[in-house]
Amino acid sequence: MFRWNRVLGFVIVLSMLLTACAAPAAPAAPAAPAAEEAAAEEAAPAEAESWWAEAGAPYAGVTIRGISESTPPSRYSAEVLGQMFTEATGINVEFEVTSWDEMYNKPIRDMEANTGIYDFVYIEQDHIYSYLSRDFLTDISALLAEHPELQSPDFDFGKFTSFIDNFKQDGGIYGVPMEAFIKPYLYRADLFADPDIQAAFQEQYGYELAPATNHDQYRDIAEFFTAYGEENDLELWGTTVQGHTGHPSATYELVETILPTFGVYNWGINLDTWKACVENGGEMNSDKAKEGFAFWLDMLQYAPPEATSSTWDEVAATFAAGRAAQGWVYGENAAWIATDADRSVVIGNVGVANPPVAEGVIADAESGAGYIGYYDGGAFGIPYSSKNKEAALLWVQFIGQESVQADWAAAGARIVMESTFDDPLIVEIDQKVSGYYTLMREAGPLYRGAAPLPFHNTLRGNIDTFIWQALAGEIDAATALDGACVAAEETMLQLGYGE
Amino acid sequence: MRSNRMGWGLLAPTLIILGIMGLLPFFYVLVVGFFDWNVVSATGKPIWTGANNFRRLVFDPNFLGAMSRTLLFTVTVVVSELVLGFVLAQALVKEFPGKSFFRTIHALPLMVAPIAVGATWRLMTVPGFGIAPYYLDRWFGIDYNIGRYAEHAFATTILMDVWHWTPFVTLTMLAGLSALPKEPMEQALVDGANRWQVLRHLTLPMMMPVIITTTFIRLMDALRVVDEVYLLTGGGPGDSTRFIGIHIWRVVMTWTDYGYGSAVSLLVYYFTLVLCWLLFIALTQIGRQQE
Repeated sequence: MFRWNRVLGFVIVLSMLLTACAAPAAPAAPAAPAAEEAAAEEAAPAEAESWWAEAGAPYAGVTIRGISESTPPSRYSAEVLGQMFTEATGINVEFEVTSWDEMYNKPIRDMEANTGIYDFVYIEQDHIYSYLSRDFLTDISALLAEHPELQSPDFDFGKFTSFIDNFKQDGGIYGVPMEAFIKPYLYRADLFADPDIQAAFQEQYGYELAPATNHDQYRDIAEFFTAYGEENDLELWGTTVQGHTGHPSATYELVETILPTFGVYNWGINLDTWKACVENGGEMNSDKAKEGFAFWLDMLQYAPPEATSSTWDEVAATFAAGRAAQGWVYGENAAWIATDADRSVVIGNVGVANPPVAEGVIADAESGAGYIGYYDGGAFGIPYSSKNKEAALLWVQFIGQESVQADWAAAGARIVMESTFDDPLIVEIDQKVSGYYTLMREAGPLYRGAAPLPFHNTLRGNIDTFIWQALAGEIDAATALDGACVAAEETMLQLGYGE
Repeated sequence: MRSNRMGWGLLAPTLIILGIMGLLPFFYVLVVGFFDWNVVSATGKPIWTGANNFRRLVFDPNFLGAMSRTLLFTVTVVVSELVLGFVLAQALVKEFPGKSFFRTIHALPLMVAPIAVGATWRLMTVPGFGIAPYYLDRWFGIDYNIGRYAEHAFATTILMDVWHWTPFVTLTMLAGLSALPKEPMEQALVDGANRWQVLRHLTLPMMMPVIITTTFIRLMDALRVVDEVYLLTGGGPGDSTRFIGIHIWRVVMTWTDYGYGSAVSLLVYYFTLVLCWLLFIALTQIGRQQE
């Protein structure tokens, strides 16, 4: 018995050692360029490689540290691009991929204390105003002008889509876009195309089943499929709701996704006076906002039980698990939901469209006075406190090369350059994701990023509780927004805005 | 004189580390508590505000709510863990088949990091996917949803804490019980005392130092619970599980209100000290009365 124990112990220890010593799985290599282009461009990669090696030589062995949110595009840049960059330049990349909260909390403390822990940080479009208001970021365009020897021949700010405008101030550019996506309306194309379901819907509601273009249709579809799931003993509900009652994602869904479709923009805050309540010129507790919030709360009855525990990630997982017939889902998830058989049971059955809107919202969006949904994304920036600015400058250019964009877009459904839309790989994937990229290209201008609030995280933190309480059924929509607008004004006043 | 100097010399590294790691941050927080300092304010700079942050506390419903919830949570979990832990220790002090196995299994939760405990309980209780809502609905028809019902979420945080920390109480009590002299108990039994009388008049008074120490440790831990609960509920639904630790985290990290966050931290620290002191007096009084 004693001998057997020793043998067993030896085997366990040996297997642990072997596991620990095993080489990590190599990340997916980027697809080779098309054969017909290969001949013409044969010389270019070699030239590029030598440029990176030459430019990186003075910093070889240096380690740059960065932080980003754990999203598919960030993970790709950490696992694939980071390794490619190290091979090309000799500069090591230590990349912390973390939760959304920490992605903001850690760098802002680093920059406030000027400790210089991070050499590059993910700047969510929402956060850029907070960073710029405190001069926390390095002007990348100015740094490039200062160091022409570090200017990559394959990097050009002009190649980016208009999303880069979010990171400009006073002629300077403070971030290199690394991801951008719209938050579209996803629906189950297979269910919507089923003749029996179509007939039943037509009979019940008197019009054809199609992706919702207004809120009444959305409600009808949600009600219909919830009943359909119950009648057929299916784990299927009418809609997703990003309604975690203790997470900021719920407030974001309300102010950035739902309310704009009711014509309430910029969170209902008057950006001239920094007021939120109707009596002071704001719109956060306007009738339109209350109607929008009530609509969203009403959707909870047609959403799966996990809705009040769902953040952005869980909403995508719910849709991928085939538990919802429609919903607002962040675009970064659209590609994997539609194509990844390991994580999704609805591949090939995902439809993509613009979200349903109230009357007048499309006109507002077309004129620039409003928007129909959220244009999400972020960039890599260099903190002013970085101790390796030059090495970080090479890194942000490396991820901003045209040549790395297509594979990155395929892995993370993000597009930041106009040319990526025309890449054969993306054109091919676009068909599998029901035209998500085409929608992003064509309807992109109708979507917009977060309101330009330098204090948006603090403000959101002060109104979260009202939204969560309403989602938990403790208060109604009107009471919640009346309380939220007062809290918002108090917060802004305390921060020195709106006096 | 020489040995005195040598003593201080040997103590010096510890005192220096204690000063840097303990006292310096404490005084820093104390100073920041007197400033209005929010990193995203229009100025972004700390502004002297005197005792204003402390005055704000008194009228802040978020703080008062978080404090009262924390007290309710703390009292419930500490009492439950003490009673359960003592009973289990009494059982484990005796010999029975499988005792070692049970003791090992019982101690397993202690080895799990709080963040992992929160994540595991979340997986078990998340509505729609979790095993707990599934079987509660199937067997008892209970619509258990910690994302929607405040009382479900609060009760689950208590259950989770009791599951996680009762083994700690059991082990400390077991150590105490094993160390008790057997003679007084045997004498009492010979003199005709029943088991309840032995427990009340001998075991409990002799165990009082262990009980006091365990109570203090668990009390202080429960008052500053954050990670487990944050992972499980995020402090929701609404603010129903936003205990004071999570509230401080939100004030400092989310609201970036460093001055007010420091003031809240200091008051909670002071409150914990006073509570422990009062408890110490109460428990030692009870101990004396029993003697």
